[in-house]
Amino acid sequence: MSAYPRKLAQLIEALRCLPGVGPKSATRMAFHLVERDRAGAGRLAAALTAAVAGIGRCERCRNLAEGPLCAGCADPQRDDSLLCVVETPADVAAIEHATGFRGRYFVLMGRLSPLDGIGPEELGLDRLDARLAEGTVQELILATNPTVEGEATAHYLAQLAHARGVQATRIAHGVPLGGELEHVDGGTLAHALAGRRTV
Amino acid sequence: MSPGLEPAWVLHTRPYRDTSLLLELLTLTRGRVGAVARGARGPRSRSRGWLRPFQPLLVGLAGRGELATLTSAEAAGAAFWLAGERAVAGLYLNELLLKLLARDDPQPLLLGHYRAALVALAEPADPEPALRVFECELLTALGYAPALAVDTDGEPLQADARYHYRPDAGARRLPGLAEAPAGGVELSGRTLLALAAGAESFTCPDRDTLREARTLTRSLIDHCLGGRPVRTRELARAFRSLAAPAGGKPA
Repeated sequence: MSAYPRKLAQLIEALRCLPGVGPKSATRMAFHLVERDRAGAGRLAAALTAAVAGIGRCERCRNLAEGPLCAGCADPQRDDSLLCVVETPADVAAIEHATGFRGRYFVLMGRLSPLDGIGPEELGLDRLDARLAEGTVQELILATNPTVEGEATAHYLAQLAHARGVQATRIAHGVPLGGELEHVDGGTLAHALAGRRTV
Repeated sequence: MSPGLEPAWVLHTRPYRDTSLLLELLTLTRGRVGAVARGARGPRSRSRGWLRPFQPLLVGLAGRGELATLTSAEAAGAAFWLAGERAVAGLYLNELLLKLLARDDPQPLLLGHYRAALVALAEPADPEPALRVFECELLTALGYAPALAVDTDGEPLQADARYHYRPDAGARRLPGLAEAPAGGVELSGRTLLALAAGAESFTCPDRDTLREARTLTRSLIDHCLGGRPVRTRELARAFRSLAAPAGGKPA
């Protein structure tokens, strides 16, 4: 790294914290920023500083938020009786993007995964329980991933909801739209067949 | 290095890099193996739905050393769909295998016992006897087989006698109404003999036998773990403390 000025070497090293960026990509990015696009580099630096300082967790749903509440929780138009539980903020974005869901969210920031040492306390499920105890939620939509751990989490949350007298529903699993049965893996197909419904 | 595909089970997966998975596998010929499945989480992955616990697999592995590379994986039959507490019980089996089995120590018989336990978990009947049988088989594979034939004096076990079992010593007969010393497990000869009779006969023991068997295998496994906690047990306890009347029904 002695071939570069110290500050450039530091920039290259800093860029390597990005996922999928190794020394070579980091060098290319650093050269681009200082040689060709100094204005862009300034905007990037300002945006990074602002984001790190200004983005926190929503107090109600633990989604990423600017300020105490995220946009979804602050919106008075949304339906308080529907609460959709997801594993990550990316899942919220996916549901928002693809569906017309107008209820509230709760982000677990993970899933029950005993083999990784993550139990109900580590997930902070007492906060979800407190939310259910408020009495406004009528239906808890369990949108955790269809993995073994995600299913166990959904089952646990369903019991939590039943204990509070709240209806719990699980999102459907099945064949992707536009897919062909022949190429769908066996587990998904078995689930799709087991979860069939009358038309 | 590996000539063909071999039977395997996924014990645990962990995301690795952008699209890869780190796997802990229980394989037939190599025992517990760590492997990386490159691109397994990517949008074009063909094995995404299969690389999950409780799915019988045929895998190809390349490379020796700490981390093998998964070269191919295909399903070798239908997966076991375990829901709720049954899934936690299945993960309990996986946790025991992860924590107690050394890497690259083949235990081919254990795969059959593992499958038998999963079959029991997927059926509506009480899976507890099958879990106890699996625990005993695992302990046997590890070289910590419980002494279930004779007591510490070399006498055959008697069904209606009381015994005091210590993981490092075995079953010592308690004379008459003597108090059991601290440490170890107090249990009846009937329980020890029922466990000794093995999988076929240990299918529907009475409640007392089952409770004693659980205490015994738990103390033996804790002895092997040397103080490391069993996290799936804690989760199972959390499930029970929610006290919902609906027991874990298999999907």
